[in-house]
Amino acid sequence: MPVVLILLTTLPLAAAVVSLLGRTRASQALTLVMGLACLGLAIALVPAAAHDSPHTGFLRADAISVVFLLGTAFLYAAAAVYSIGYLRAEEHREDFARYARRFYLGVNLFAWSMLAAPLVNGLALLWIAVEITTVVSALLVALDNTDNAAEAAWKYVLLASAGLGIGLLATIVMYYAGSTVAGQSYDLAFAPLLAAGTRLPHTAVQLAFVLAVLGFGTKVGLFPVHTWLPDAHSEAPTPVSAMLSGSLLAVSFYAVLRYYQIASGTLGASFPRTVLLVFGVLSLLLAALYLLEQRDLKRLLAYSSVEHMGILAIGIGLGAPLATAGVLLHVIVHAAAKGNAFFGAGVLVRKYRTKDVATIRSGLDTLPWTAPLFLLAILALAAMPPFGLFRSEFQIVAGGLAAAHNAVTVVLVVLVTVAFLGLSVATTRMLFTPGPRVVARGEPSAWMVAPMLAGLAVLVLLGIHPPADLADLFARGVSDLAGGGT
Amino acid sequence: MNPAVSPPGIYAGIANGLAVLLLLTEFAMLRAALLRAQVRLYAAQSLLVSILAVVVAATRHLPELYVLAGLSLALKVIVVPWLVSRMLRRTTTEIAGSGALGVASEVLVAVAVAAFGFFATSRFHISSPALPTTALGLGVAVILVAFVLMVVRRDVVSQAIGFFSLENGVSLVSLVVAAGMPLILEVAFLFDLLVAVVVFGVLMQVHHARSESLSTTHLTRLRG
Amino acid sequence: MTVPIPVVQLLQVLTVLIAAPGVSGVIARVEARVQGRRGPRVLQPYYDLGKLFHKEALAPHGATWVFLAAPLGAMACYLTVPLLIPVLTTYPLPLGYLGDILGGGFVLGLASFVVAVAATETGSPYAQLGASRAKTFGAITEPVVLFVVFTVALITGTDLPYALAATVRSSAEQIVRPAHLLAAAALFLVILYETGRIPVETHTGTNEFGMIEEARPFEHSGPYFAMLRWGSAMKQLILFTILLNVFIAPWGLAATATIGAVGIAIGALLGKAVLLGVVIALIDNSFAKLRLFKITEFVAAAFLLAVLAVFTLYFGGG
Repeated sequence: MPVVLILLTTLPLAAAVVSLLGRTRASQALTLVMGLACLGLAIALVPAAAHDSPHTGFLRADAISVVFLLGTAFLYAAAAVYSIGYLRAEEHREDFARYARRFYLGVNLFAWSMLAAPLVNGLALLWIAVEITTVVSALLVALDNTDNAAEAAWKYVLLASAGLGIGLLATIVMYYAGSTVAGQSYDLAFAPLLAAGTRLPHTAVQLAFVLAVLGFGTKVGLFPVHTWLPDAHSEAPTPVSAMLSGSLLAVSFYAVLRYYQIASGTLGASFPRTVLLVFGVLSLLLAALYLLEQRDLKRLLAYSSVEHMGILAIGIGLGAPLATAGVLLHVIVHAAAKGNAFFGAGVLVRKYRTKDVATIRSGLDTLPWTAPLFLLAILALAAMPPFGLFRSEFQIVAGGLAAAHNAVTVVLVVLVTVAFLGLSVATTRMLFTPGPRVVARGEPSAWMVAPMLAGLAVLVLLGIHPPADLADLFARGVSDLAGGGT
Repeated sequence: MNPAVSPPGIYAGIANGLAVLLLLTEFAMLRAALLRAQVRLYAAQSLLVSILAVVVAATRHLPELYVLAGLSLALKVIVVPWLVSRMLRRTTTEIAGSGALGVASEVLVAVAVAAFGFFATSRFHISSPALPTTALGLGVAVILVAFVLMVVRRDVVSQAIGFFSLENGVSLVSLVVAAGMPLILEVAFLFDLLVAVVVFGVLMQVHHARSESLSTTHLTRLRG
Repeated sequence: MTVPIPVVQLLQVLTVLIAAPGVSGVIARVEARVQGRRGPRVLQPYYDLGKLFHKEALAPHGATWVFLAAPLGAMACYLTVPLLIPVLTTYPLPLGYLGDILGGGFVLGLASFVVAVAATETGSPYAQLGASRAKTFGAITEPVVLFVVFTVALITGTDLPYALAATVRSSAEQIVRPAHLLAAAALFLVILYETGRIPVETHTGTNEFGMIEEARPFEHSGPYFAMLRWGSAMKQLILFTILLNVFIAPWGLAATATIGAVGIAIGALLGKAVLLGVVIALIDNSFAKLRLFKITEFVAAAFLLAVLAVFTLYFGGG
């Protein structure tokens, strides 16, 4: 198994090196192969991680990290496929070769850093990996080189870096907390910190946890430090938007989860849960309100991401095992659903040459494949059965009621409904409202439809009958998070 | 009753003095109108961090910190300021756009924020064998004032320098509470900073190429 | 042979009274030399005062007794302060308990106030300009002095200047502690402001719109003007003495009341004051005058230093 860990953290790098050479076809092919290979490797890790935590050197995988790995690897593969079609429309650019080289270099490095983040063993390395995701993705956001892209990239890199500065402070305070048990010099690996449990100094751990929620929360998109998120998501090239939304936010949430794990081991679960509940509810509230009045298609989906990150935080904050399992499932299905939604939105934007919700009309007539798939993706995001998000959100709500967090659960349900309203109104307008036929009927590229079909398959599969191995994985993750060891 | 505060000892006094100077350079950045001056102040502040690392290394017998001090000197005192000032020369902009507040109000806001940092830190009862707790409070104050700098300034260079100096504050904190951190991690942090600096530089250039200025006042298109 | 204590007390006042114009003379001389001029004689301020005392005194039309009383009042204030601070001795003299360091500050503030009132009495625009500006910036410098006093109080547990001087002498730890250095630096900036030095204003008699300190006695003449000038020189020496004998160099003071010790103390004080004067003269030559609006920033910097001094003390014994 260790070889899988090493491969997962080297394959995207190899693809990045080849992309640097600048042969567009070669980098396309290799990125596709590496993306699928990483997905395969991540799936191969599932049975092992469900019962054991394979590790080698600085790398380590346990149930929690594999959950996040699956989401990221899936989106990496899907984006690799989608990019082939996406870049076809850019071929008219004068600087296409350079654009494609930068695009593939960036996408592969981005995927590499996001795959590495859940696999590294230790809070310090985790911070480094997350910081690399920031800088790489900031460059990707600026890739289109428009005024808006430059603005979004600058705001993003500044805010995320400042947030990660707080994250670094959290890391250092946690180092201090650990050094009282592990000695002056140690490497911040997870296992000793978790094993130290209640012997860590409480105030320091409390401080580190709050700083981590605030710092890494910037990248998760938690209120009130979410402001970069809609800008970056709307201005990045679509495959990158999908990766930002589906996996970058989740990977940052993974960092918060690690701090949660250590903090609840030391302080007991009630303090960290309360913190997460507060941030989660506020984020959800904000996102739901913004979704009602959003006119920009990609920003709409970006706020939906804020909403779902809020759901994740609430799910962990509720504390019931059922809800925690729901959160882990939610990470994967959200990646698939949000990927699909962005892919579909990308096609719509391509076709209509606008992101304005009010301008896109009668999508269902124009795009015979994408429009229904986009509709299904939105329905999935709104947690309609039979999709995976229905299962995961149902588990979170059921867990919340079981844990007697009635008020929070009711708020959750109400806000999710409000968000659904916003999303569905915009979507039905775009797809069903008849309008003057401005563009010819037809799909731009089959490459852009294929990943959506795959995503749909995943959503349905996980919604109807999740594989047994995956269920084991979630069970293991839940017991890890509940403090049952590493 | 004698409310006198007893002196902290010579070592702690020197360390605290250096930390105070760090905070003062942060305040000076808040006041500096010339972008070049700001870059120089950043270099001076980084130099102070390196000196402090050497002081801690010498008195607390942590030889790894010498290496760290050397690396941080090379990177933060020489390479980063050089990169930023090279970019400044290309853009031929000298004076930062005026901030969102007047200088005196900026200083007052920053004093209040720094006071909050002091108060908050003193409540945590974190003590460390490497450096006195005052230095910790000062480090937190540096971080908070760096935030003020990033918020009130309206040009990309000041904002970037604000972030870099924020990292200096974190370095100060880490000298206090995590002096024994393994060298490999510290080096990784520094390397990461270098990558961030390069990316900041690229984005600053993108910004300058798009808008022909370093000001961020017109970055208001994206909202809602 | 010992000097009776009341005589030592008197000597403190006399030293300040008599030496003050001389210190100004030395600074002016050094400054001229640094600028490549020959400069006035060191004793020139005494000749100036002598000349002024022989001139007739004029008062503007409509000025009341306040105008004429102000120079006397200011002079009286400046003669009181040396009773309170360690000018010559390490041990407190009987009248030293008359007031603490804050009291000394208030007495200096009173002097500045009566001069300002006299300046507004005149109706002359220049004098009023100087007075109003002095009070405007004073609104920031006086809190700075307060914070410096707080620092002293926190360090020593009392607000007697003698106690701080003794604390500073006691160990090197006391000197390197940041709170002490910050407070001293803040006080130094206040002194630059109070004595009307670059970067706040040019002090050498040129009339211009940026004047603050120099503008206030604009309408006074003859003996009254002489007293104001003398008072300014004394204020300068008093502030120097506070900075030197309380904060940065409380050495060379007399520990006993013997003639030798007191004599050495007088010499040491003047020597230190001249050294400080040289430093200030060098600063005068190295910096440009700030625009009037920028003076707020200058005093804000002093404020910042003083506030930080209190912070570092409060949170961790800095």
